[in-house]
Amino acid sequence: MAVATASDPSPMQVLADFGKSKSLRTLLRVLILCFIAGAAVSSRLFSVIRFESIIHEFDPWFNFRATKYLVANGFYDFWDWFDDRTWHPLGRVTGGTLYPGLMVTSGAIYHALRALTIPVDIRNICVLLAPAFSGLTAFAAYLLTNEMTTNTSAGLLAAAFMGITPGYISRSVAGSYDNEAIAIFLLVFTFYLWIKALKLGSVLWGALCALFYGYMVASWGGYAFITCLVPLHAFVLICMGRYSTRLYVSYTTWYALGTLASMQIPFVGFLPVRTSEHMPALGIFGFLQLVAFIYYIRSALSGAQFKAFLFVGLGAVFGLALLALVAMTSAGYIAPWSGRFYSLWDTGYAKIHIPIIASVSEHQPTAWPAFFFDLNMLIWLFPAGVYLCFQDLKDEHVFVVVYALFGSYFAGVMVRLMLTLTPIVCVAAAMASSQLLSTFLSVKSPKAKDPGQEDVADSSSKKTKQNAGSLRSASSPYVGVYSFLSKGLVSGIMTIYLLLFVLHCTWVTSNAYSSPSVVLASRMPDGSQHIIDDYREAYQWLRQNTKEDAKIMSWWDYGYQIGGMADRPTLVDNNTWNNTHIATVGKAMSSSEEVSYPIMRQHEVDYVLVVFGGLLGYSGDDINKFLWMVRIAEGIWPDEVSERKFFTPRGEYRVDGEATETMKNSLMYKMSYYNYHTLFPPGQAQDRVRGVRLPDTGPVLNTLDEAFTSENWIIRIYKVKDLDNVGRDHAAAASFERGHKKKKATKKRGPRALRVD
Amino acid sequence: MKSIAACAAALLSLISPIVTANTNVAAPSVSKVTLPATFKPPQVFKNANLVHVISLEKNFAKEQINVVVENDSKEPQDEYFLPFTSQQMERVGGFEVKDRKDSSLTGFVVEAVEYDPLSDIQYYRIRLPAPLPPKAQQTIGISFHYLQALAPLPAAIEQTDKQYLVYSFSAYCPSIYTTVKQKTEVKLPGSDIPEYTKIAGSGDSGAKLTYGPFPEVPAGAVSPVKVRYEFTKPVSHVTLLERDVEVSHWGGNIAFEERYTLYNQGANLSTLFNRVKWAQSQYFNPNSYALKEMKFPLRIGSTDAYFTDAIGNVSTSRFRSNKKEASLEIKPRYPIFGGWKYPFTIGWNADAKYFLRQKTGDSYILNIPFLEGPKQPEGFGYEQVQVRVLLPEGAANVKFHTSIPESSITDVVVDQQKTYLDTIGRTVLTIKARNLHDDFRDRDLIISYDYTIAASLRKPLVVFGSMMSLFVGIWLLSKVDVKLSSK
Repeated sequence: MAVATASDPSPMQVLADFGKSKSLRTLLRVLILCFIAGAAVSSRLFSVIRFESIIHEFDPWFNFRATKYLVANGFYDFWDWFDDRTWHPLGRVTGGTLYPGLMVTSGAIYHALRALTIPVDIRNICVLLAPAFSGLTAFAAYLLTNEMTTNTSAGLLAAAFMGITPGYISRSVAGSYDNEAIAIFLLVFTFYLWIKALKLGSVLWGALCALFYGYMVASWGGYAFITCLVPLHAFVLICMGRYSTRLYVSYTTWYALGTLASMQIPFVGFLPVRTSEHMPALGIFGFLQLVAFIYYIRSALSGAQFKAFLFVGLGAVFGLALLALVAMTSAGYIAPWSGRFYSLWDTGYAKIHIPIIASVSEHQPTAWPAFFFDLNMLIWLFPAGVYLCFQDLKDEHVFVVVYALFGSYFAGVMVRLMLTLTPIVCVAAAMASSQLLSTFLSVKSPKAKDPGQEDVADSSSKKTKQNAGSLRSASSPYVGVYSFLSKGLVSGIMTIYLLLFVLHCTWVTSNAYSSPSVVLASRMPDGSQHIIDDYREAYQWLRQNTKEDAKIMSWWDYGYQIGGMADRPTLVDNNTWNNTHIATVGKAMSSSEEVSYPIMRQHEVDYVLVVFGGLLGYSGDDINKFLWMVRIAEGIWPDEVSERKFFTPRGEYRVDGEATETMKNSLMYKMSYYNYHTLFPPGQAQDRVRGVRLPDTGPVLNTLDEAFTSENWIIRIYKVKDLDNVGRDHAAAASFERGHKKKKATKKRGPRALRVD
Repeated sequence: MKSIAACAAALLSLISPIVTANTNVAAPSVSKVTLPATFKPPQVFKNANLVHVISLEKNFAKEQINVVVENDSKEPQDEYFLPFTSQQMERVGGFEVKDRKDSSLTGFVVEAVEYDPLSDIQYYRIRLPAPLPPKAQQTIGISFHYLQALAPLPAAIEQTDKQYLVYSFSAYCPSIYTTVKQKTEVKLPGSDIPEYTKIAGSGDSGAKLTYGPFPEVPAGAVSPVKVRYEFTKPVSHVTLLERDVEVSHWGGNIAFEERYTLYNQGANLSTLFNRVKWAQSQYFNPNSYALKEMKFPLRIGSTDAYFTDAIGNVSTSRFRSNKKEASLEIKPRYPIFGGWKYPFTIGWNADAKYFLRQKTGDSYILNIPFLEGPKQPEGFGYEQVQVRVLLPEGAANVKFHTSIPESSITDVVVDQQKTYLDTIGRTVLTIKARNLHDDFRDRDLIISYDYTIAASLRKPLVVFGSMMSLFVGIWLLSKVDVKLSSK
């Protein structure tokens, strides 16, 4: 409810008396901001209250593991960390291939608390880091909005929106310990510093902006968004003829220092000067020098000379620069656009060329309802706010417009990028709604007593001063809101919308974004909560009862969790840097045992882990992901794996008796359904996810032994058999074990013939 | 001969420092009497009558020796020696000696004897409360137990098979004195005893085996026998239990936390775990040698219990706390079969008024249980126990008394530890004990200490002072003008 208080400074008559004093207003603002931060933090704690303080999902488990490594071994060891427990047998140069910002931040907090002798578990710091930073993000949104408008209540509204909007909460609930947890704060704060630097033309602010840009680069791969947006803003400003020394100073300071800072991160290294994604920033840097030079020349030369110079000089420079760029790209000095980047322009690109990117759900194009789901009423206030920026188009407003355009496009292309759109939506929506509220919530405007000429003039002059860019007042100076009815109606409706927004945000956060996904919750018949904890059951079993260096093969989704919870080496994980290796695992999963077994032996696999939801009806299991494994494997071995063979002749993806032979013989199918039918009375084995009845005879596994199956069968772990002692192949050995006689090749006996020598 | 052995010992200790270091770790210094390496216990007693009761009903071997000792020498004697092999020495624990005739008689002191470390025979010395005059008799009851003395046979079985354990012992009670008359009884958990060593005088009746009575047996005589019997329950064994008790005077709270490193030392699985069979056996025959549940009866008034392991909260626990009981029932994430391991942590809070009492002025008395592990029908053994009691910052003059056998305590340290904004650190009493089992739960640990009001006011004052100085510092900094130019 801080929102409502924030937006109406005037109606509180009591406050108005001493509300005039500046210090009291500051105090109120600080208090309101504190409340907003409190609301932002507490709305993210659903999962901690409902479940426990636990790291969520997949990627956070790696960040958590890395943080523990950093805390245990110190910064320099972390920097040089070669992790031989992932990507077996390749390993991963983890220290050089991650964004260390997140881990270093938690590590610093941890050591600061330790220095105060407060014994906090590193896990709790990691779990609560995202909510804590969301409070800071709200504050950064306040600062950024304040740069856009003189109306301070807009800033408070923006802070409140930023604090609770689901678009941001989705990546920052307690436990979602991902790079985005701190990166969104850094994004907004860097933009604030950029605007500040641009407005003041100050080297200090530019340097600060570069510093936070460096922090951002250290934290999230999404820094490219800043790297592209700031030059774009500068470019648009130049094209609008708004070149100024302020722009020159702030941009060059930011670019020079920021690029240097970003190059300190080993993972980024020389990318800022070698890849196409970073070229706009470099190009604008050069372009700004040219423009500055031209401005200088113009002041020195006469008009005609200057024109000639402009045509010849500029044309030559542009041509040369373009040629150099093309030449260096073709020579390999500058890397062309990466695949992930292409998929931003052509949403179908990834599906055809890089299935591994397309297989991630958060890389899918956004469905339209998602905008409303994540942003609710902000999504229709957002254009209004952008429109308001056009009313009073200063340099910073151009930024909002540019950001809004690009953010909207990217958010439409990839679900995940909704996150980068959210801050500007909050800022723009706050500007619009505060404009609306301050227009309609003012008691002082001409009252209904007598709309006399002077009264109107008085109030409208006040109005125009106050809202130079209000929705309708732009054209005619004599406009004011007179009746209490319309005031009450509009502000009442607005209040209801704001309340609904809070309700919606709470509902979405509670229902959609607060599940750890490691732990599943269900309801018992009596309504009490029942926790389904199969993942941790199996991971804990692996951790305690297998060899320290037992290699686990699983689909890459579970790699980070196995590393983090089971503490065992994995073949592939969520850091999908080696497509071939993932395809190898995909091939092992989708081929028959005779093909898979050599692959597993070659990779020293000890255990294979599959996720099976058939008993419980858990739809996120491996059989449902299986086609992606097939596709990724087919991408590398088109001759050996074929997606078509997993579909019935009628084009159905089936797992029951009608499944294709390839499907039935694939390792994944066998591991999922091995022994499953014995759980049911004959003829009643059922897969509850796919809703089909399974055949009475289950699959036969020759090269693997069932080692562990969790309580609800979600995780099944198989042990890879060693080579047979007497050199038989496994199928023969297993059939001997089952008591079958060795099939003798039936000799064809012809009629006996007398041998005559 | 002796000197050669001593030389060999010296040489061995020179060339293999690692070996000796290891034995030090495995068997930390028990409260010991150091005697010269050439020590040989004097043959001053005679066991007039001896009954040796071995109880194998739980998953450790509990032995009770009731013996009528008679002074066979000319002078009064008060040192009775009990021999053990060095292997037994590492596993034996819980020594308690009583006078069987007069239960009010106390003052028996049991200590391990330290002499030639290479000798296979080691001794425990029992010092009688009063020297026994020549020819006088005294009936004493000696009880102790061996942990990890039971071995599964076969060592690996099917998931639904029965588990059999083997225990080897001597039909003659090991003694360094001549025993005139003796008998050994073995109590077993059930009557399924597929085999036991049959010698003259052995017999079984249901769940009980008897060896003897035997006529006079010379000192040091042994007659190794074995029994193999069915044991349907898990052989749970804790290699290390760390128990932290944190006393807060300000909060009026005592926080307990226990970290267990738990193993099942029963028979291993001969084939890998099969969930279908497990689910079915749970339904038809819930008895299993896998550990699937533990019950912790806590002190009444305990609250906020939790059960976690390395990867977070384990949701399969139930905690009931009311006026009559406080019972924590936990289920591990998976059934713990033989050879499997499951480390976990439990903890709870309790109101200090149940445990803490002000004696006089600044002096306090804390009375807590030494052990509060699970109460299982099959028993629960602890190899190492470390109890740490964190007293408030500034607590001094710490004294303790405990009713667990003194010979089990290996180490006692009082030092300091800093947590939660401490400036000098809390006083921490650490008691290490070894080879205990769950019969010793609820034995008291009584600690007395002094804690002045000045010490209790230290932290609030320090926090207040540092916050104040922080604010004043910021205020002073804000007064400094750092601008390059004033406009």
